[in-house]
Amino acid sequence: MKTLSHRIYDWADERLHLQELVTFMEKKSVPRHRGSIWYYFGGVTLFLFIIQIVTGILLLLYYKGGEQLAFESIQFIMSKVAFGWLIRSIHSWAANLFILSALVHMFSVFFERAYRKPRELTWLSGMMMLFIGFGFGFSGYLLPWNELAFFATKVGTDIAGIIPVVGKPIMVFLRGGDDVTGATLTRFFGFHVAVFPGLFTILLTIHLIFVQRQGMSEPARFEETAPKERTTMPFFPNFMLRDLLLWLIVLNVLAILAVFFPWELGVKADPFASAPAGIRPEWYFLFMFQTLKYLPASLGVIDGEVFGILVFAIGGLLWLLVPFWDRSTVRGRRSRMITYVGLAVIAYIIVFTILGWTT
Amino acid sequence: MDNVRLLTSLVLLSTIILSPGRNGSAAAADQCLACHQSLGERPSSLFKHDVHFEKGISCADCHGGNPKAAEMEKAMDTTAGFLKVPKGDAISRTCARCHADSARMKDFGSSLPTNQWALLQRSVHGGLATSGAEHIAQCTSCHGAHGIFPKTNPRSSVYPLNVVKTCTGCHANAALMRTYNPSLAVDQLEKYRTSVHGMRNAKGDIKTAECASCHGSHGILPPTDVNSRVYRANIPNTCAGCHSNAAYMKGYNIPTDQAERFERSVHGVALLQKGDPGAPSCNSCHGNHGAVPPGVESISNVCGTCHALNAELFSSSPHKKAFDEQHLPECETCHENHEIKPATAAMLGGAEDAVCSQCHSPSDASGAYHSAVVMRSMVDSLKSGEDSARALVNEAEQRGMEVGDAKFKLRSVRQAWLESRTVVHSFDVNRFQKVADQGLAAALEVRREAGDAIGEYYYRRIGLGIATLILTVLAVALYLYIRRLERKPHPTSGPGRPPG
Repeated sequence: MKTLSHRIYDWADERLHLQELVTFMEKKSVPRHRGSIWYYFGGVTLFLFIIQIVTGILLLLYYKGGEQLAFESIQFIMSKVAFGWLIRSIHSWAANLFILSALVHMFSVFFERAYRKPRELTWLSGMMMLFIGFGFGFSGYLLPWNELAFFATKVGTDIAGIIPVVGKPIMVFLRGGDDVTGATLTRFFGFHVAVFPGLFTILLTIHLIFVQRQGMSEPARFEETAPKERTTMPFFPNFMLRDLLLWLIVLNVLAILAVFFPWELGVKADPFASAPAGIRPEWYFLFMFQTLKYLPASLGVIDGEVFGILVFAIGGLLWLLVPFWDRSTVRGRRSRMITYVGLAVIAYIIVFTILGWTT
Repeated sequence: MDNVRLLTSLVLLSTIILSPGRNGSAAAADQCLACHQSLGERPSSLFKHDVHFEKGISCADCHGGNPKAAEMEKAMDTTAGFLKVPKGDAISRTCARCHADSARMKDFGSSLPTNQWALLQRSVHGGLATSGAEHIAQCTSCHGAHGIFPKTNPRSSVYPLNVVKTCTGCHANAALMRTYNPSLAVDQLEKYRTSVHGMRNAKGDIKTAECASCHGSHGILPPTDVNSRVYRANIPNTCAGCHSNAAYMKGYNIPTDQAERFERSVHGVALLQKGDPGAPSCNSCHGNHGAVPPGVESISNVCGTCHALNAELFSSSPHKKAFDEQHLPECETCHENHEIKPATAAMLGGAEDAVCSQCHSPSDASGAYHSAVVMRSMVDSLKSGEDSARALVNEAEQRGMEVGDAKFKLRSVRQAWLESRTVVHSFDVNRFQKVADQGLAAALEVRREAGDAIGEYYYRRIGLGIATLILTVLAVALYLYIRRLERKPHPTSGPGRPPG
């Protein structure tokens, strides 16, 4: 006598040929080594992205864009809508954890040299998703139209305006005018709920297809191990269940953060008020913001801030293109230089973020 | 021409011989004075009585030229330093040559200050005249030119009894004043003559205040300037200069503690300690140029200029008639005059320290005592209702709950409480109750909302606890399942199987 679940499976299998998928998943395996823990951060990032989509759609039911309505609508969500406070808090916390998780994922891929051939395009698609993630954060930060977000956006777009030649048009494009106004809010809302999710979904699909096609990357040391000593685990159900376990833990952490540290709304933005003290961007932009603050106004022939932006732009480009210039890894050697560069970048980000937070 | 010279020489000679000047030698040598006097010119005759003449200062000291030369061409030769009649700022600069030089002033045996010119330049009169070529006022505008006397001399234009006339020479001239400040009143003199100060001054009392007593003399600043003696917050100090000086006020038979009491009053604290620019100063009640103590019948009008509703309610209340009959000053009877204390709920009711019980007793047939007791209990309920509602809102806020609405409604409670303080002047219990009931209803609503928010806080924590428990149980179950799963050998796991 077949159980109900088996009968349902058989019914679906008859129509959708699920067995092929199950067989594929059963055959798919994940290497086991001391760096296996890092494999899970891609899944955690994906999980947080799904949470963002779900909570974002729920917020969209009540959020009203516009200078006169945005702040009040969030206030309404937080005080009147059933579980609105929870959804908004989870959306805000998950956004930050998403960036954190994506950064951990990116650095783990970097240190494991998982970007090397044949996964250059996977790295590129992932990096682009990270940049869009920053865009999500920057655009979403303004949507509550509160004082802190207003002035942080002003400062952020001002920095974009410093870039020689293209800076001013970019700034005007981002702001929808010369200043941060309701037009900027409308624009950012559009980016946040339409442009970025669309681009991100395309890139995510490509990224996941690449991962499926190429399988999990194995570190060089794993490849050097004798085939007999290499251990793996099945993707389904072992790895997937472990992923699920981590997702449950992340969900628990999110719920605790949302309830114990509800995301504050602050006071409504007043474009005519003077900027309050302590204006700073989101934490993941803080190291760049702090660097620009430390740079002198002029460095001989070049403006200090312009120099800083150029250095970050070049650094970001080099980081993005690491699969193409890291020749040592391609040749099968483990480049210490890459490790040192990675460690230096992490140390730099941590130190300047702390400085930005404490000063 | 020769005849003219001869005549002039004869006149000068005779003047020198006959002149009985106090400074015999200097005057005898001053050909300017001799000649101009002989021509019957008014400046020279005035100068003979001028304080400067007495100090030995000659015409040439201000006008330049050669006072020893008998011939007019030589005496008034511009190439030899004759300055003619100084015009515009040159007038004040001429005066300042001595009056801003303490050493020279000492030589003349003067103890006058030497900063008048500096003060004048910084004063409101130091602004640019409509001609655009000079300051608005020069030294001579107030002191005159050739008939200057010490200010203690009744002939001086700045003698206390003459100052008003001197100042109003310009300030009562509407056509002139319009060119500088069209909104500035020009009726100060008329008002002043109706004031106690003005009336006494007209009778020859040089101790009473005139223009310079309050505004100062050389360094007069507009009343909007914080350094002005008549800036709102400085007025109590300016008035106290005379009115708190017991020795100076001796003989006037009025108290000298008004300023001291005002400083302790609710108005004084607001004006002098809190820096509230809207708070009243002495002149707000007494008037400024027409300053008089408000009469019994006009006190409510004076207070009512700011406390309009209170005054209106009082006028239509039963107290109005009773106070009038007994000649009681309206507001002052309960609130005092200079030392007005903050109006607290303690003023109301039947307690010993309440102002109501000073006139009313439980045996009053009018029921006024009972009304006072009832209104007091309603004020107390309103206050405690507001306090408890605020405490609940604060508690909810401290717990991180969104209580913007409740906080906004809390303003209605405060508004009702404030309104009750006004309505109490109607001494009508029913009217008072209507206001108090509105406040109490609002307080109840705020308490309900804040209470709900606190309830929601606990609900969230309980909800979180349950959710965390479920998630933790699920996670633990999953962990155990994974462990059990991985203990069993799997066809695709283990060593030797190529990954991917």
